Amino acid sequence: MADLIIENLTIKYGEVTAVENLSINVPSGEFLTLLGPSGCGKSTTLFAVAGLNHATSGTIRVGDRILFNGDPKATVPPERRNIGLVFQSYALWPHKTVADNLAFPLILRKMGKSEREERIREALGLVEMLPYAERFPFELSGGQQQRVALARALVYRPPLLLLDEPLSNLDAKLRERARVWLRELQERLKVTTVYVTHDQSEALAVSDRIAVMSMGRMRQLGAPREIYETPADSFVADFIGSSNFLDGRMIESGVDHALVELGDGTRLTTAPGRAAADGSLVVAVRPERISVATAEGPNTLRAKVEQKVYLGSVWQYVVRSGPVEFRIQTTFEIDAPEVLLHIPAEACALFAETPVGN
Amino acid sequence: MTDLTDAGAKRPAFDRSRLIFWGVSLLTVVLVGGPILPIILQAFLDKPLYDAAAGFTLGNFGRLFSEPGVGRIFLNTLYFGALTMVIAQLFGAVMAVLVGRTNLPGRRWMGEVFIWPLFVSNLVIAFGWFTMYGPSGFLTLASRTYLGGAPWNLYSVTGMGIVAGLSQAPLTYLMCLAAVTKADPQLEDAARSAGAGPFRALWSVTIPMIRPAMIYSAVLNFVIGIEMLAIPLLFGGPSGIQTVTTFLYDKGINAAVRPEYGIVGAAAILLLIVVALLVWLQGRLMRGAGRFVTVRGKASRPSTLDLGPWKWAAFAFVFGFVFLTILSIFGGIFLRSVVTFLTPLIPIWKVLTTGNFELVLNSETYVRSIVNSVVVSVVGAAIGTFFIAVIALIARRSEFGFRRPLEYVALFPRALPGIIAGLGFFYAVIWMPGLDAIRGTIFVLILAFVVRYIPVGFGAIAPALAQIGEELDRGARISGADWWTTVTRIILPILKPALFSCYALLFIHFFKEYVTAAFLYQPGSEIIGTTMLQLVAQGDNGPVSALATIQVIITALFVFLARRLLGAKIYG
Repeated sequence: MADLIIENLTIKYGEVTAVENLSINVPSGEFLTLLGPSGCGKSTTLFAVAGLNHATSGTIRVGDRILFNGDPKATVPPERRNIGLVFQSYALWPHKTVADNLAFPLILRKMGKSEREERIREALGLVEMLPYAERFPFELSGGQQQRVALARALVYRPPLLLLDEPLSNLDAKLRERARVWLRELQERLKVTTVYVTHDQSEALAVSDRIAVMSMGRMRQLGAPREIYETPADSFVADFIGSSNFLDGRMIESGVDHALVELGDGTRLTTAPGRAAADGSLVVAVRPERISVATAEGPNTLRAKVEQKVYLGSVWQYVVRSGPVEFRIQTTFEIDAPEVLLHIPAEACALFAETPVGN
Repeated sequence: MTDLTDAGAKRPAFDRSRLIFWGVSLLTVVLVGGPILPIILQAFLDKPLYDAAAGFTLGNFGRLFSEPGVGRIFLNTLYFGALTMVIAQLFGAVMAVLVGRTNLPGRRWMGEVFIWPLFVSNLVIAFGWFTMYGPSGFLTLASRTYLGGAPWNLYSVTGMGIVAGLSQAPLTYLMCLAAVTKADPQLEDAARSAGAGPFRALWSVTIPMIRPAMIYSAVLNFVIGIEMLAIPLLFGGPSGIQTVTTFLYDKGINAAVRPEYGIVGAAAILLLIVVALLVWLQGRLMRGAGRFVTVRGKASRPSTLDLGPWKWAAFAFVFGFVFLTILSIFGGIFLRSVVTFLTPLIPIWKVLTTGNFELVLNSETYVRSIVNSVVVSVVGAAIGTFFIAVIALIARRSEFGFRRPLEYVALFPRALPGIIAGLGFFYAVIWMPGLDAIRGTIFVLILAFVVRYIPVGFGAIAPALAQIGEELDRGARISGADWWTTVTRIILPILKPALFSCYALLFIHFFKEYVTAAFLYQPGSEIIGTTMLQLVAQGDNGPVSALATIQVIITALFVFLARRLLGAKIYG
């Protein structure tokens, strides 16, 4: 298997910049997810790696093989990149049986019949679709088509596998099972994998590392836990999971902590961070990290319960303290009109700006 | 798994896809430009094109405008085209709404009959009208005998325009029918729940949505009107009425006797410019038609409207129309082919004969024209389908840098009237060295027909191509296939139904063609259309009707087989 190196990749369509100066190094055997809202450039990046759209500048390498380096003459066309790609719509050729779909890439590689059949059996076995070899795609369910698409991308043993939202057309239950299965298969084959999705829980569940993208730029690259717990900026904090954004003012900025005053006068000790030039900032804190306190103390505040929603596994409340409104989650019901809350210092991330769109 | 890092598909010795892009583009430019260039040159030359001593002049246009009666000719053409359009739009649209959206009795079979005229040439239609409604036509005489008079006169520009309009109504009908039946029924349902009655919902919601179809077919019918040869030739000829096409036809044919190259070139250019402008205008008008597009995922038919007691009135209207303008026309042709003399005054059985068919089948020339027609259609449609499919694939599914220009060039023949295409190829074959070998053969006919009908075939293939998700090509490319392998192994097999439809459409158009061939055929390469044109001019109505009948029968057989065996979609 091989590693994928993307350096300073920029993709422009006329005046529009779809991907700007993106650099990612995916080591051999890693499962990397490109995560972001639609239009963030994640699929554009993926298809540029596949050679199916034209990058403007930068370098794309697999191992020591240069696929793209900005010179159109040296750009390797998609058919010679030897990359496996699974499409969102699966793109199974409707006029070919499952076996013929898998045979096509092997025939193009001038592989003999017996070896071909061996490979097809092996690949269909991997995705547990062997009994369906002679079916046509329209005779398969969505989940089965998705497996065949994966088998087709793996049958010629590419060193790099690209997946473009392959689970988004499955229903919720099946999607959860498929992602576990997909991850297991990837670990078994140790194929370097780049996965594109806009579903954060999917990304958190399957990835070794996640690259969060927004408007053509990479905002943060890290392990799922790192992304979730220490978001690099307010966009990541907002996009991954759900966060309250509380406007505040920097009172004191230390090496290992900071002191912040919220709009209602409450002072919070928080993890260290930076404020804007005028001292204003936002405190990002996840609803499930805020707990109900039994006694007043540091980082507590009293809030009125304004709205209550039952979500099954948890209760969600909208609470207010003066001008500060935010959401909290509890596993038990709160009956009182007012509640004392504790916001742990390590649960607070400070950012200079509110996320775009908030 | 073993590592195969270096093993994509093998790099071919040369990039054949690129070769195909350039080769096909070059061929398209030559084929489309081929007939136009010599006409433009000829219009500005003072001697025949092939004369080395020819020099530049503007005098041809002066000579054209000083030609006696030329203003009349242009006015006739415009009036004729406009009337054709108005009549066709009026009847076509009304028919489409009645057949497509109401509970009109017999709408299924009448709707089917209504598109028959599209399968035959307007030469056949014109002959049918002449047989039934001409000065001594069957229905004219019947009306005169039993009703004391026949209030129509085909031998006038108005009469010609009405005939042409009625025979073009099916085209409007077809386009409007698609618009009214494919409209999203939810839109009308929404109007109903907002308080509109069924008529009101149809009138206010669905009828406005046929506007793009109306605009599109209106310009198309106007263009067809001004480039139509058969009707002005048959009905205008005897009374001395000329249009631009008959002028070009007469002058062009007579060019052998009295060299009038310059005038012909000048008139041809003017016609070409007018038609090109109209086609451009059509494109302009169709811009923003997207707001009328309602075809979305779910395939459900809109409900039919109950006409109540009016349905019999509507039936009488539609049946009268179908009977008088289609059934009687085809009937007249068939009837004329089995009698020596067609008149309501003598009982049919007294004049029955097989003589017309015997005459045709015993004549080497006539049989040859039938065989040639079949060969040109069978072979030509196959060549055309392949060529057009490759053009469409390059234009819509390749990374070729000039794919947009290629599509423009390929679709330009929409603006190329048949008579000009014929004239242009005629010049080109004389003018370009080496082409003399195919002069007067059926090859040049196939070539001219293919070029003329690229847009027709393209129209059959492009929408189907758009239905095939691009990720299917991308999947093939990433699997290791180059462009040409992707096209031949993945896209064309999936495109098969559309290719059959394209083949069927081209076959029908080639089989009924006569205008484009008028200047191009020579003894040995005549086709049914040109032979009929010649016979009509001589007034040999017996063999004309026999040939027309044979043409209709072969066409009907072909349409039946193509629909049954190939599942080809031909007009709906």
